[in-house]
Amino acid sequence: MSTSFTLPGTQTTPTIVADWNEGLLQMSGDSYPENSFDFFTGTLDWVESFLKRERRPLRLELRLLYMNTSSVKVMMDIFDLLEDAHKLGQEVSVVWRFDPRNERVELLAEEFREDCTFPFHICAEV
Amino acid sequence: MLDMDFLCLRELLQNHRILLCFNGPISRSLIEEIGFALKNYLEADHARPSATMDVFGAYVELTQNIRHYAASKGYRDTDSAATILVACDEDGAYLIQTGNVVDAADASPLLERIAQLAAMDPIELKHAYKTQLRRPIAHGASSGAGLGLIDIARKARRPLIATQRPLDDGKIFFSLRAIL
Repeated sequence: MSTSFTLPGTQTTPTIVADWNEGLLQMSGDSYPENSFDFFTGTLDWVESFLKRERRPLRLELRLLYMNTSSVKVMMDIFDLLEDAHKLGQEVSVVWRFDPRNERVELLAEEFREDCTFPFHICAEV
Repeated sequence: MLDMDFLCLRELLQNHRILLCFNGPISRSLIEEIGFALKNYLEADHARPSATMDVFGAYVELTQNIRHYAASKGYRDTDSAATILVACDEDGAYLIQTGNVVDAADASPLLERIAQLAAMDPIELKHAYKTQLRRPIAHGASSGAGLGLIDIARKARRPLIATQRPLDDGKIFFSLRAIL
């Protein structure tokens, strides 16, 4: 699946833009689908095949807001893939931008970062 | 036909500052629609963005849990109904309470689990959350990650309270109360 894709967001699912040539995955919006594992399968597969087939850097740019706990679980799986690639010497990074009025988003991002050793930036966006 | 004192009902809802009250079978789209309304109420109530997200998050976790549970048991009609109430008080605290029917055998483990969470301090809750986050999930599992109750317990201002009431058909009406 060496392709790019765009999933427009809905009330319960984030907008996802995956650009293979750029090595960039962007996700923004709320994420609380009833079955998060089904919803994120394609994205998880995309990250996995990019890291397996390319030696180029992969960047994640996130503007996620509310996430239900099953979305959190899937996001942890994605970060685990990045962590494994990082340990094998591949360049990976995450930038998570948040609205400083909502400290919950910052706390959520910080808890993810605790388990990651690759570059993981959390930036207040005004 | 029922002819209740409607003003009395209205005053009851107003006096208890009830933002939202629902009872009935709950579909995925209904969870979304009620959730959307709840978010709007909270914003109109000038809740802080983090409080809005906590209350909305507890609502999503609890209702999705009820949906997953009823589906896993093959419940229909009244057994799959959810009872949901959201109220606020003068100090800016929010109460969310949900109730649903569960099999008798499932009630005690659930109450025990909630009693365990209620006894934990924030550090223990965080540890429980991270442990659960790392627990592998059976492939093809349609339900959640087992994180919802821990997540609510972490955000709650006070320990969660669960109650059970026996029903005529041998099942149990289970109810959970969280103050956020």
